[in-house]
Amino acid sequence: MAKDTYLKKILGNDRYSRVRQTKILMVGAGGIGCELLKDLVLTGYGEIHIVDLDTITLSNLNRQFLFRHHDIDKSKSLTVAKAVDSFNYFDTKLVPHHGNIMDAKQFPITWWSQFSYIFNALDNLEARRYVNRMCLYLKTPLMESGTTGFDGQIQPIYPYYSECFDCQSKVTPKTFPVCTIRSTPSQPVHCITWAKEFLFHQLFDEVDSSAGGLNDAAKIKSETDDKDEIENMTKEFNELVDLRKLIFNSDARTFFTELVNKIFKVDVERLLLIETLWKSRQKPVPLIITQYEQDLIRILDDQTELQKIFGDETKVWSTLENLVILFKASESLQRRLQGEESFLSFDKDDEDTLNFVTASANLRSIIFNIEVKSKFDIKQIAGNIIPAIATTNAIISGFSSLSGTNYFKYDFEETQDFSRIYQESSSIFISIKPNKYITSASLVGPNERCPTSSIARGLLKLTPVEVKELSLKWLVDKLIEQYDYADEAVALILGKSRLIYDVDFDDNLEKRLGDLSGFTDGELLMVQDDDGELESIELYISIVEDHESDYLPQIKLGPKKAITEESSNGSSGAPDVATDTIVIDEEDEDLVEVTEPVVKKRKIEVEVL
Amino acid sequence: MSKDEALTADEIALYDRQIRLWGMATQLRLRSAKVLIVNVGGVGTEIVKNLVLGGLNSIELLDSSVVKEEDFAAQFFLPNDDSIIGQPKLPIIVEKIKELNNRVKLNINTTPLESIFEDPSYFKQFDLIIATELNRSQLFALNQHTRALSIPLYATGLHGLFGYIITDLIEHYSTPQKEAGNQLREPNTKINRSKTITKVDFDKGSNTETLTILDEFVPIPQIFKSKELPNQLNKRQLKRLSASFPLIFSLFEFEKPLNPEDVIDKELLRAKGIQLCEQYGIPTASITEEYLDMFSNQAFTEYSPVAAVLGGTLAQDVIQFLSKKESPINNVLILDSVKSEMPIYLL
Repeated sequence: MAKDTYLKKILGNDRYSRVRQTKILMVGAGGIGCELLKDLVLTGYGEIHIVDLDTITLSNLNRQFLFRHHDIDKSKSLTVAKAVDSFNYFDTKLVPHHGNIMDAKQFPITWWSQFSYIFNALDNLEARRYVNRMCLYLKTPLMESGTTGFDGQIQPIYPYYSECFDCQSKVTPKTFPVCTIRSTPSQPVHCITWAKEFLFHQLFDEVDSSAGGLNDAAKIKSETDDKDEIENMTKEFNELVDLRKLIFNSDARTFFTELVNKIFKVDVERLLLIETLWKSRQKPVPLIITQYEQDLIRILDDQTELQKIFGDETKVWSTLENLVILFKASESLQRRLQGEESFLSFDKDDEDTLNFVTASANLRSIIFNIEVKSKFDIKQIAGNIIPAIATTNAIISGFSSLSGTNYFKYDFEETQDFSRIYQESSSIFISIKPNKYITSASLVGPNERCPTSSIARGLLKLTPVEVKELSLKWLVDKLIEQYDYADEAVALILGKSRLIYDVDFDDNLEKRLGDLSGFTDGELLMVQDDDGELESIELYISIVEDHESDYLPQIKLGPKKAITEESSNGSSGAPDVATDTIVIDEEDEDLVEVTEPVVKKRKIEVEVL
Repeated sequence: MSKDEALTADEIALYDRQIRLWGMATQLRLRSAKVLIVNVGGVGTEIVKNLVLGGLNSIELLDSSVVKEEDFAAQFFLPNDDSIIGQPKLPIIVEKIKELNNRVKLNINTTPLESIFEDPSYFKQFDLIIATELNRSQLFALNQHTRALSIPLYATGLHGLFGYIITDLIEHYSTPQKEAGNQLREPNTKINRSKTITKVDFDKGSNTETLTILDEFVPIPQIFKSKELPNQLNKRQLKRLSASFPLIFSLFEFEKPLNPEDVIDKELLRAKGIQLCEQYGIPTASITEEYLDMFSNQAFTEYSPVAAVLGGTLAQDVIQFLSKKESPINNVLILDSVKSEMPIYLL
């Protein structure tokens, strides 16, 4: 017998031999990635490419079981590839890439086209959307997965047969009105947002006028017509610019004293003058630093005391302790800016920045009589930390690899007809109830209103010589010949929004393709039917040494869909509307459990790490 | 370390992402829990990985087996080295497991289970026992001891694309917090045969009720002759019941083939499956040719993704059990990865 006896028994000889011979891609080598790679390697895949841009941190180690303490700061993709070597019983070829999957130079479309199947193990929307679009260009099946805490889900995507990643709109982070953040906070999160996106950003980060939208005049005007409040915000902001200059030409104590005095006293006193704000709100109480000065000086000289305060991140600090932390943090940030670093961005794992945000958020909370939080809790809010555990990742990765391997049941070498596998596949959600652990749902076809999958997509393949020699006219003729546009009327848009041809604009017709600026490998070319009869097609320009005789995708364009096109030709993707998908649980009619609702709302999108 | 001793800064940093989910109190409960895992095969490998990462106090592995060629399917702590075939398994894998998290004490014990049964006081040192891949007589014998000693027992096993978890956790109190409805919940309400609300604490400020829920379990032999299943399923559910439940229980009547290439006799399996359906009062029509083929072929085989789902679910439930926040699985979970189903039955 051989080591793969079980695999042959379970997968069957045909599927197993397809798995052995194929090349797949796994994007992301974090929480899901570690588990998934183990499963894929033990399924005997022929070749697995792994892409991740991240490095390993301590907080990964509670679940990313392929990493060790001594791996901290190393590349995730390179480390996982090495780590699975110890159990690579079926000699899978592992090809790690340290890099950003959205980098078209490192990962051109020709690179993508080598994979028969792609597994996403990502933690962010942008990269998920990008991989999703690449799969649509190439008609490569994709397994989407995500976990958050005890919840998780998988979604198999068969391009143009089932819903793509963008077919369901995703939940976006909650935002707050500028006035709430700047003038009238009432919750800890308001003060944390203020500390991180306004105060910290304006003092230490790369200078821009946006202040994370928190000094946007138009936005402020849309929220309030209180002249005093608007004027006050402008003043506050301008003074912050002065304070920033102090970082470079004052000592730590002066900077700190000025900072506390302006931010927690003068600004608050000015707010108090705008009486309309406090008619139905509790008034803030300015912080008088002199009250604390003596104690502050004493503690700052006392190393044991300092260590005690810094040591306990789960404790809620007092006003004095927050001032101590603020002093130490601003001193350190100031020193860093006076030294090598030209600006500092907030990073939850950069202790100085987190300490500064924690202490200043808390001091603001104290002033506004809001609950004070521990550094541990503030880190979660400020750093958008999503709880993550080994078990959920193990379960979801297990389903991801099971469902992905199911694809190899059939031979897709010759055809990309996914109708059968699409019918047999389902999305799976963890939903723990007394009578079941998961819920699965049949896949549905693409959403007609989805800006991503409601248009056709494919590659425009040209050799470097052809790009140099062929004219735009040749391309227009080729398109008309291939797709049968009535009246021969098409419009071509290159890149995000540059019109290069339509019936009323033929200036470029005689130009060589290579002379059109932006006509390069990896750029997008949108072809629209000027008569509005046929659906649009988005072409990915792929410049290759050899492409035989096919220049354009061999597809038949369907009728134009109902959706408007404005969001379809860029990388912006679907509008982010917060709606939940509702999975109706048909099987629960009889088993009544008082603590669980029959219909459970579930978010499709979950962030992982 | 005791439950009362607070988590250190190092522990908080390491367990950060899970403490944010289940809180410090649960992490402390995990840190004081002593668990025994019987047999480290495919699913045992996944369970021990998850629990070591989670940060238990100590885990003892009990397994007298030697490494076999087929172990290289899902047992990823084994080094990729054919020369270890025939050697006792635990000493070879223990160091690799320790690397995952050196805070968890890991002991190995290569005594055969049957010898342990001669002095069952051995089990007393554990707060919880997880038994994997036992045959029926071993399972019943072990359950007799865990019942006598009041130790919660999880049992699990794999058959290719299928698997099960059976629990006898004696009794379990949990205190979930629920949003209060129009009518307050009443203490001493029996929700079903095994679940009772024993206490209700209403907090007016947050409009939440903290319930105390008692889950009671039955001994495992009772599960094997239960008549409860038809009462829990409606007509439609009964009709589309997967054959994985009766066939998994049928396989308790078969021994694992010595040669991994061998299959289980399909007709014997069919006869046993039909007999069990009749015994449980469920339709025999679920025993399809497709399922018989899969089960006769895949019985006792190990497959990493299925081991991962099952081991993840079991370890998660152990954590749930220890945290006392929600009710654990009571008492049979079936994993059917062909139908993508994981029903839980109260038998």
